[in-house]
Amino acid sequence: MDLNALFVAIQQILSTHALLMLLLGTGLGIVVGAIPGLTGAMLIALTLPLTFYMTPFNAVVLLVSMYVGAISGGLITATLMRMPGTPAAVMTTFDGYPMARSGRPGRALGLGITASFVGGLIAWVVLLTITQPLSILATRFGPFEYFSLIMMAMVLIASVSEGSLVKGLISGLLGMLISMPGVDPASGMPRLTFDWYVLNGGLQLLPVLIGTFAVSQIIADALDIGKVSQNSKVDSRGVLMSLADLRRHALNMIRSSFIGTWIGILPGIGASIGSVVAYTAAKNMSKTPEEFGKGSEEGIIASEAANNATVGGALIPLIAMGIPGSVIDAILIGALTIHSIQPGPTLFLTNADIVWGIIATCLLANIVMWLMMTSSVRYIAKLIYLPRSYVLPVVIVFCVVGSYALNNTLFDIWVMLGFGVIGFLLERAKIPLGPFVIGFVLAPLGEEKLRSGLMMTAGDITPMFTRPFSLAFTLAAVVLLVWPLYNDWRRRRATA
Amino acid sequence: MLRFRQLLSVTAAALLIVTAGTAQAEWPEKPIKLIVPFKAGGSSDQMGRVVQAGIKESEALSQPVTIVNVGGHYSIGARRVMEAKPDGYNFLLIHLALMGGQGSGALDFGWKDFAPVASVGEFCLMPMVRKDSGIDSLEQLLTQAKDKPDSLIFGANLGAINHMGGLMLQETTPGAKFRFVQIGGGTANYTALTGAQTAVTVLSGAEVTKFTLLPDGSENPDSQIKPLAYTGSERFSGLPDIATTQELGYDVNFCIKSWFFAPKDTPQEAMDGFAAAIEKATQTDTYQDYLIKNGFANGIVTGDEMLEELQATWDRIEPIAKLAAQK
Repeated sequence: MDLNALFVAIQQILSTHALLMLLLGTGLGIVVGAIPGLTGAMLIALTLPLTFYMTPFNAVVLLVSMYVGAISGGLITATLMRMPGTPAAVMTTFDGYPMARSGRPGRALGLGITASFVGGLIAWVVLLTITQPLSILATRFGPFEYFSLIMMAMVLIASVSEGSLVKGLISGLLGMLISMPGVDPASGMPRLTFDWYVLNGGLQLLPVLIGTFAVSQIIADALDIGKVSQNSKVDSRGVLMSLADLRRHALNMIRSSFIGTWIGILPGIGASIGSVVAYTAAKNMSKTPEEFGKGSEEGIIASEAANNATVGGALIPLIAMGIPGSVIDAILIGALTIHSIQPGPTLFLTNADIVWGIIATCLLANIVMWLMMTSSVRYIAKLIYLPRSYVLPVVIVFCVVGSYALNNTLFDIWVMLGFGVIGFLLERAKIPLGPFVIGFVLAPLGEEKLRSGLMMTAGDITPMFTRPFSLAFTLAAVVLLVWPLYNDWRRRRATA
Repeated sequence: MLRFRQLLSVTAAALLIVTAGTAQAEWPEKPIKLIVPFKAGGSSDQMGRVVQAGIKESEALSQPVTIVNVGGHYSIGARRVMEAKPDGYNFLLIHLALMGGQGSGALDFGWKDFAPVASVGEFCLMPMVRKDSGIDSLEQLLTQAKDKPDSLIFGANLGAINHMGGLMLQETTPGAKFRFVQIGGGTANYTALTGAQTAVTVLSGAEVTKFTLLPDGSENPDSQIKPLAYTGSERFSGLPDIATTQELGYDVNFCIKSWFFAPKDTPQEAMDGFAAAIEKATQTDTYQDYLIKNGFANGIVTGDEMLEELQATWDRIEPIAKLAAQK
């Protein structure tokens, strides 16, 4: 651990334009996270084309602080409107809203804000301590280790994401399928392009992402545009947590933060799952489980500490192995590659300043988030009642500009619109979008690793089962796939 | 009546002058579009932007040059220029990949479908092995590839420049055969070679200095890889101790240049004008600093001379590209 490099990075952020990026990113993240219908993934996908005009350092500072802000901002809407501003805040609605209704909105927000802050800090400490050792371990990974790890990640996201395993698999496989056209990694020749030359480069990440996350949401929002939410007033009473509160909730906060961090590290699954697991754990261990869902302080704390902790956790596999720990991390990988930075084990050697920039931002953005939220949550709360008819047209313009800007091809705009419709239809069919994007991002990586491994061994696949790490990952993947099916079968037999 | 005819002829003459006037008006009348068929931030994009800055700095043109990055596969942007109106305002910046794709059959068009404008900024490659490999010379490397064919694992991006570079080295020694494995570009190959997943690769001169030297220019003791030769006709300025392949007795010259092309039938005036502007840009400090930083050789070739150079490169590359596609 190179603390000196960390201080250099912190200093660089505080003394340059990066500070502006930090404040802007966190602030925008909170606001967008708070506005229902706009998500963090959407904000980051749309900001990506703009970062091309920045230095790579400023770009990661901006994007990571948006990530932190967006996960935190969701709690405002969850608490005041019973609508998760971001998907990660679903669990917060269960207790935050009842508490706000019972006349303590400030208290409910305050608990969420401080829990978010603590969750972010604990995950950051883990990020700081284990990323570098893990990246050193990962340099020993050959193609078979990578392939089995990616395979495990894909099974994991399909089986653990919301909805059924089958729907998760459908989504993941669809994502893999649309990543297939383009240049074959093992021969350099175009494939599945149907002799249509615009497909030679495959479908690009950015328009696909903007389509599935932003446009699909706009279509859904536009369909119930008339929905008006009732206004509730917020005062600052109770926004700051007292020391006694902190002591009382310390155990829950720490436990939830570690759960969130761990779930974040697992490749492919992010904040939503983290908060569900921490919430369930808190309920199971609580002395007053009957209060959960009716305005329990513990419930708010568990959900918010965990969802913020996943941010730091999910950055660990991104930096150490080049594998995204969440959907937003998949977009961050895109951002780094735009700047010709290859995420992976050598990132510490080739772009140490970027790595420390990411780690430092993770810390500073949490502090800025806490300051901004505690001081101005009353004003941010007003923004969530902005009429959508003003917000959505602006967003769609950004979608079009953002899709076009990177490659300057009109084709990308059609791709973006097409995937907007596809994403909307998938959501309507209750098929989760997470596995779709992770499949799209990971399949080409996995394919390249598998095929290069097979080229090295002249077609022999046994190293998958003889090398210890790849054997472990493969077994984990099999268990993750079979376990839910087995459970299902047992339950059905029990009822029959 | 006479008056009318006079009027007519005057009008006709006036019209002639006007039309001739537009045809002869100084090129360029509007901004010039330079398509870079790669993502922004890559090495071709940097070259394009440095030339753009150099043209502006030297005031070589009265109109600005606009760079348009067309991402995805390079064939998408290249085709767009090929099919563009040959009005003197559309140009393409590309490199050897164009010939590689044409030779392997991945593209259904090639360099002969464009009009050559200028070629600049040459860089060449270095075959690399691990320090603990027991291989100390290019000769030992190729002998081993010949004695145990298809066993030395060569990290490359299949079908791309580093793959063709490896094939070119292999072809100097009859019977020699590397086992080419898909790894990727420079950084990925550096990682794979350092991790001993591969045994050989080629890196550009600038990459070798980045991966094996400390910032002060002394050797990095942590680096586990070493270069064996340089595929240029002269030694690489960044590592002057490394001999060229030709000095070592191998008839290999494998260098990559940045090529500026125009659509066929672009007016000669625009072709010459843009070539002259690029030449002026190469004389600026911005450009020269960039060359030194990236280990590129100086020099510019235009017109018929460039056509000859392209033909000679094609004669060498075509069989290699065909070989690359056989895998």
